[in-house]
Amino acid sequence: MNETMTDPAQLLTTLGLIIVAMPVLLVAMFFGAFLINRHPGEQKISFCIQFAIGVSLLAAASAAATMLWHRVAQHPIELGDWVITPHYHLKFEFVLDLLSLSYVTLTLVLCAVIGAFSTRYLHRERGYERFFVLFALFLLGMVTTSLSDTVETLFAGWEMVGLSSVLLIAFFQERPSPPRNGLRVWIVYRVCDVALMLAAILMHEINGAGDFDHLVGNSAWPAHDPLLIGPHFTLLGVLFVIAAAGKSALVPFCGWLPRAMEGPTPSSAVFYGALSVHLGAFLLLRVSPVLDSSIWLQIAVVVLGVTTSAFAYLSGRVQSDIKSALAFASLTQVGIIIAEIGLGFRYLALLHLLGHACLRTLQFLRAPSLLHDHHQLENAIGSRPHEEGVMWEQKLPPATQRWLYRFALERGYLDSILEKGIARPFVRLFRGLDALETKWAKWLDGEPQAEKAPRNLQ
Amino acid sequence: MILSAPSWVELTLLLPLLGAVVVYFLKLPAVAANASLGFFITTLLTATVATWSFAGKKIPALMHFAVDDLAAPMLPVLVLLHLLTLLGTAKSRVSPMFCVRLLIANFISLAAVTCQTPWMLIALLLLGVLLPLWDLVSRGQRVRGYLIHMGLFVVLLVTGWQFAGQEIGYGLLLIALLLRGGIVPLHGWLPTLFQGAAYGTAMVFVLPLIEVLAALRLLLPSTPEWMLNAASVACLITAVYGGGMAIVQSEVRKFFAHVCLSQTALVMFAVMLHTSNGLTAALCLWISSSLSLAGLAFSVRALEARFGPLSLPEHHGLYQQVPGLAVCFLFTGLASVGFPGTIGFVPMELLLSGSADQGLWVSGTLAIAAMFNGIAILRAYFALFTGKRPTTSVSLQMTPVERFSVILIALTVFLGGWFSPGLVASRHHTADQLLERAGPGATKK
Repeated sequence: MNETMTDPAQLLTTLGLIIVAMPVLLVAMFFGAFLINRHPGEQKISFCIQFAIGVSLLAAASAAATMLWHRVAQHPIELGDWVITPHYHLKFEFVLDLLSLSYVTLTLVLCAVIGAFSTRYLHRERGYERFFVLFALFLLGMVTTSLSDTVETLFAGWEMVGLSSVLLIAFFQERPSPPRNGLRVWIVYRVCDVALMLAAILMHEINGAGDFDHLVGNSAWPAHDPLLIGPHFTLLGVLFVIAAAGKSALVPFCGWLPRAMEGPTPSSAVFYGALSVHLGAFLLLRVSPVLDSSIWLQIAVVVLGVTTSAFAYLSGRVQSDIKSALAFASLTQVGIIIAEIGLGFRYLALLHLLGHACLRTLQFLRAPSLLHDHHQLENAIGSRPHEEGVMWEQKLPPATQRWLYRFALERGYLDSILEKGIARPFVRLFRGLDALETKWAKWLDGEPQAEKAPRNLQ
Repeated sequence: MILSAPSWVELTLLLPLLGAVVVYFLKLPAVAANASLGFFITTLLTATVATWSFAGKKIPALMHFAVDDLAAPMLPVLVLLHLLTLLGTAKSRVSPMFCVRLLIANFISLAAVTCQTPWMLIALLLLGVLLPLWDLVSRGQRVRGYLIHMGLFVVLLVTGWQFAGQEIGYGLLLIALLLRGGIVPLHGWLPTLFQGAAYGTAMVFVLPLIEVLAALRLLLPSTPEWMLNAASVACLITAVYGGGMAIVQSEVRKFFAHVCLSQTALVMFAVMLHTSNGLTAALCLWISSSLSLAGLAFSVRALEARFGPLSLPEHHGLYQQVPGLAVCFLFTGLASVGFPGTIGFVPMELLLSGSADQGLWVSGTLAIAAMFNGIAILRAYFALFTGKRPTTSVSLQMTPVERFSVILIALTVFLGGWFSPGLVASRHHTADQLLERAGPGATKK
């Protein structure tokens, strides 16, 4: 009995399962209440959120302490084989290691802060209940992704994060633009999810399973046993980078980031300032040994990070609203984190990610009271604060300055390129096919064709 | 008295038929609806017991019918699908004849799935074609397009069966089943059926995916590989085409028709792979697609019953009026595209991995089809449920019956996701049996 109690492996498994179980219970409870038409009050919702996050956080902290105490570098938690056929193996598995515990602790701390903030910020808001249902789904998705040890587990959490993000962007659903922007974000997410799906298939083809440890060996993150060399690993890396680019709004998918600011401030803070926007970087950290398989892939990741960073810096300089400016500032740092991953500085990238997420959450949460803060500051110092900063662009020729300004204002024309180059031709093609199909069906039914309108009325 | 397993199967088959006869003589729509509901619930219970009593050994029933590996899990699924169709129909739209058609459709689908002789299966497929025709004629709709397509289906099916065992026969049967499944370019009847016929009638004709069953029973043993490969390409194109078309539709019914088209094509594609993985995916997808699409159709029908035909280009703002239906629409729609945690997740994963043997581009195309469907679902959700709220003088909240149905759908869609391991194991066993029937040479990875 005593042996069982003190067995660190069993204790870690229990703690790991508690971390995941609490968000699962939270989602099940909210969804169940909705189905049977019960509407828990604000206080009950707030208590449930804080309790669930608190218990999960306690479990995460205990797990970290246990691992440190017993010098356990990583601990897998197998939930059994979901599907096992001679040709296919689908397993749900979690892992406790430096990366997963750091990210899940960050998630839980920030969600606890945002949860507490939101209960007051959204007090008596019509969609209060809806917000917290989606918030719970987001929490579950983040926890699942953070602790995942197989690509399928990661994909499950990844999708939950995507769906909850999109529905929260469309939170103020009576206005037309939030749902429209939510749909745009969803399209980008779905396009990049295709890459993640293909990466999962390729992992199964390479290893016969989607386990990350099959790919990178049994060493604890960030070390890895085998040297992964070969074109299939490079292809796998490219697919992971595309998936990460979509989720973290890297170039050329960064057009959705300012659109995502349509949601309520707490969701913007936790999604696009702190957690969701870093998920791409987290994915690249998790599969970092795959990136090491090719020097060209590493260079591509660095270039992608630097380009995103430069682009976000420029775009951020011309934003006229605080949330968009913060979003681009956040993206600037995400770009640098991606470049750090490409350069092989894994610990630095992780530290950068954790610190940046906390800082940006604070800034987002203070954003609605920015003017109030400025007034207080001015009152305290007795004058307007002196603005500092390097205006290097003033040294450029005026024509270049104008071009840069327009480039930044139009966000690198990326949105219009994607719209004109992909979205519009797609819609035109399928609308044309639809018209043909309708015509064909009418002809088969023997319906009279509509007469052409006179030319001068067209 | 405890009934034996064959008796439960016989009861499951005969109850809908008996129900159709009884309801035919009822004049009042409300009484007919209640009687039909009673028959469906009883059939669901007997079907569940019949499935439960199946222990891997074929349960013989009346004449040519028996419950085998293929049929066992489909019995409750098919009854549930028809039950949801009835529950989703507004009281004002229910007529005794509609109930009769629904009960007959249930009988035909149950009989087809348990049928053990090919000629009887063909007869049932032909009989099934008559129900939408009956509905179209009774509603005064144009039937020429439907008749041309289904006439061709009948001719191809019968002629194909005449030449069974020869390459030409398999070819004709294959084309017939592709036509019945709405595979491009033989899909013209499907969107027009959803627009012209009663929504319920179109649902119970399309959603049981009987063509999948027919392909497994009639084609799989010995159809030449090149034919199946060619058909799989057509299915792949249809999956992408249906998803793309669903994105640009401006009417809810046509949107749903194209989502069905895409999903059916995915299941048919998995059948055409004729591999152990592919068939396992097909059998799992058959169940998950039927149920999730039935749930999606349920929410669409409940919306149409309240607000009439809905268009997609504008935002209707229905969430505030019917949040339950909004959530039902979303989770069933996402389940149909394999969203994690739902009944569709594992089958979709199986399909994607099962297709990897054909090349990564095939898996990529399937993922693109799923992506299109996912985009179409969310676009329709935003169009229907977001926007400025309409004001109504009466409450349009869900009725208790509708709430019960939504809970039933939610339990099926989510618990189905949790119970997937058992389901996959049994479907894998069935897939292997189907391939063994084709001979050891046909069994591939």
